[in-house]
Amino acid sequence: MIRDAKKEWLIAFVLLTPFLAVYGLIFVYPTIDMFLLSFTDAPLIGDGDYVGLENYTRLAHDRRFDTAIWNTAYFVALSVVPGTAVALAIALGVSRLSGRMQALILALFFLPYILPVSVVYRLWDWTMNFQFGIAMHVFDMLGIKRVPVFKTTTWFMPAVAFITIWWTCGFNILLFLAGLRAIPQEVYEAAALDNAGRWTTFRKVTWPLLWPITALNLTIQLILQMKIFDQVYLFSIGGRPNDNLVMVYYIFQRAFQSNHGGRAAAIAVVLFVIVVVVSVLNFQLTRFSGSGRR
Amino acid sequence: MLKLSALKTTALAAAMLMSSAAYAEETVVWWDFLGGGDGVRMKQMISDFNEAHKGEITIDATTLEWGVPFYTKVQTAVPVGEAPDIMTYHASRIPLAVDQNLLSEITAEDWSKMGLSESDYAPSTWDAVTVDGKQYAVPLDTHPIVLYYNKELLEKAGRLNDDGTPMGMDSREGFTETLNALKESAEVKFPLASVTADGNFMFRTVYSLMGQQDGELMTDGEFLAGDNAQKLQNALAVLAEWTNEGLQSTYTDYPATVALFTSGEAAMMINGVWEVPTMTDLHKDGKLFEWGAVELPVIFDHPSTYADSHAFAIPAGDMTQEKRDAVLEVMSWISKNSLFWATAGHIPAYGPVTESAEYKTMEPNATYSPLTQNMIFDPKSTLAGIAGPIFDVMSTYFVPTLNGEMDPAEAVKEIKVELNDL
Repeated sequence: MIRDAKKEWLIAFVLLTPFLAVYGLIFVYPTIDMFLLSFTDAPLIGDGDYVGLENYTRLAHDRRFDTAIWNTAYFVALSVVPGTAVALAIALGVSRLSGRMQALILALFFLPYILPVSVVYRLWDWTMNFQFGIAMHVFDMLGIKRVPVFKTTTWFMPAVAFITIWWTCGFNILLFLAGLRAIPQEVYEAAALDNAGRWTTFRKVTWPLLWPITALNLTIQLILQMKIFDQVYLFSIGGRPNDNLVMVYYIFQRAFQSNHGGRAAAIAVVLFVIVVVVSVLNFQLTRFSGSGRR
Repeated sequence: MLKLSALKTTALAAAMLMSSAAYAEETVVWWDFLGGGDGVRMKQMISDFNEAHKGEITIDATTLEWGVPFYTKVQTAVPVGEAPDIMTYHASRIPLAVDQNLLSEITAEDWSKMGLSESDYAPSTWDAVTVDGKQYAVPLDTHPIVLYYNKELLEKAGRLNDDGTPMGMDSREGFTETLNALKESAEVKFPLASVTADGNFMFRTVYSLMGQQDGELMTDGEFLAGDNAQKLQNALAVLAEWTNEGLQSTYTDYPATVALFTSGEAAMMINGVWEVPTMTDLHKDGKLFEWGAVELPVIFDHPSTYADSHAFAIPAGDMTQEKRDAVLEVMSWISKNSLFWATAGHIPAYGPVTESAEYKTMEPNATYSPLTQNMIFDPKSTLAGIAGPIFDVMSTYFVPTLNGEMDPAEAVKEIKVELNDL
């Protein structure tokens, strides 16, 4: 059969068009627009005048921007690696179970993941309520002084990170379980024949063979947590919002509260660049370390 | 001949179409943020309105989440033409809304159509909906904060006057004495319940205390100019002192504050008048002690209370004259029938209602309504108002200060820097 290259190209183009159109309309165009917007003094809705780099230069001595950067970094540090480690530990435990028991335990760990963030917020807000929360009564019983968890800067980020891990680790556990099941049983049998202990088996077999999944988990978490907003926003209501700022929260404040579309876009561009750089670095690092191990 | 009859038919059809347009039932799409006890009462008023305007106007009402969610939705819905025909609005948010071109001006013609005028409103209320000499909303009410108190507990502590009001309302020393007496009576966990976990809320109390010293938040566009910073510090210092002396609940959020008071664990509470229905309803069911509500104590030089105003606004955009007339009728009818709205605790903005004999017998409204003469509103700024940037800055520093974590002087310094940085 003679291939008609021109026709094939045409078919490919026709098939791709719907995707390209939608992708262009709802991703590429807004992204370009965001860059353009960041050089203007536009309000949230409507056009503004060109102001050059002013929106960027003023970030250098913007206190709230500083807070947002540091808090985001702090939150990433508190949630990405710990979250992945917790998920791995739980997955290793769950994989030792079998049958219905495994399904049940897995379901229990997965349950929080299906909750919407608003419900998660309500649950924990009530639990930690300084005057009436259940946790505070436990504190009283143990003789510990009550802690206004979401109202002090010391406890806010660790608490939100903890809740985020509790809430989202179900998904990571599933990824790890899939990874664990993909490791051939023969490898473990061979290790057992060589008299390898549990720790050695984990270190020499499970860990390296699971590394691609671990790397994937870390990357997903990293990107996700840099864009943290919902939990921080909800738990800050009425509290100390400007002390708890994270990047997306600050974008929200600028755009929707202060009506500064241009300045919000500039912060969004900075976050965009950070996410791109960090993701690429993370990808390269995990790939490098992965290939080094094998 | 044929042509003529065709013409006649067309003319007739056109006439019918026009008349049917004039008599067609107008549906007015309504958005509000009234989710509490007052929301129930507003729903009652809406259904009364619909009943009274059967076949002419129907209100199609939706209640949205109060605060940030409501206002973010409005500011995106209006520019894309998805706004309602009428919406409730906080007077404090009007300067920003006008800046964003969200609101349609209420013209002199509109006012006369509604049969309402400037003389029906208190000057401060009228001023609150005015930007550059133009009105952008029709005030429905003013809702200040008041001091709720438990008569039984105050009596046990020996701090209740014969007329059933608390003692020591005229000075800082007097009020502190009342608080101390309550503490010593050991009947309560806290003498005063304050929303100390919510700096947004505490802004109302702090701003009232600033007003008692004639302090201004914003002077010619500059925040805390001159000795206003000192006045803010004085206000914070009083509240911080109450916390440090164990006279006020710490890290208490809004629902917990109400719960502390209604359960009798706190003898007094500073809260908005919108909690009046909660108390009235509980008391009616025999689940609440004898209670009262009075104007805030005079801690500094003279009485002053922070208030905001719920108002009705028409979103900017195209609207047929028929529709607009229907909307004006809604605003007019509800304003004139706002006596029922007073059962929600709010003080109706429409003068003839508050001057009526019926209103003057309503309790506790009649006790606290004289405070309308001492009301102060938010500064007129695009940064002010419910869920605005000023609130966030204040909240961030009020929470640690009012719970004894930060020194008032330091808080004021930080607040000033951040406010002028907005």
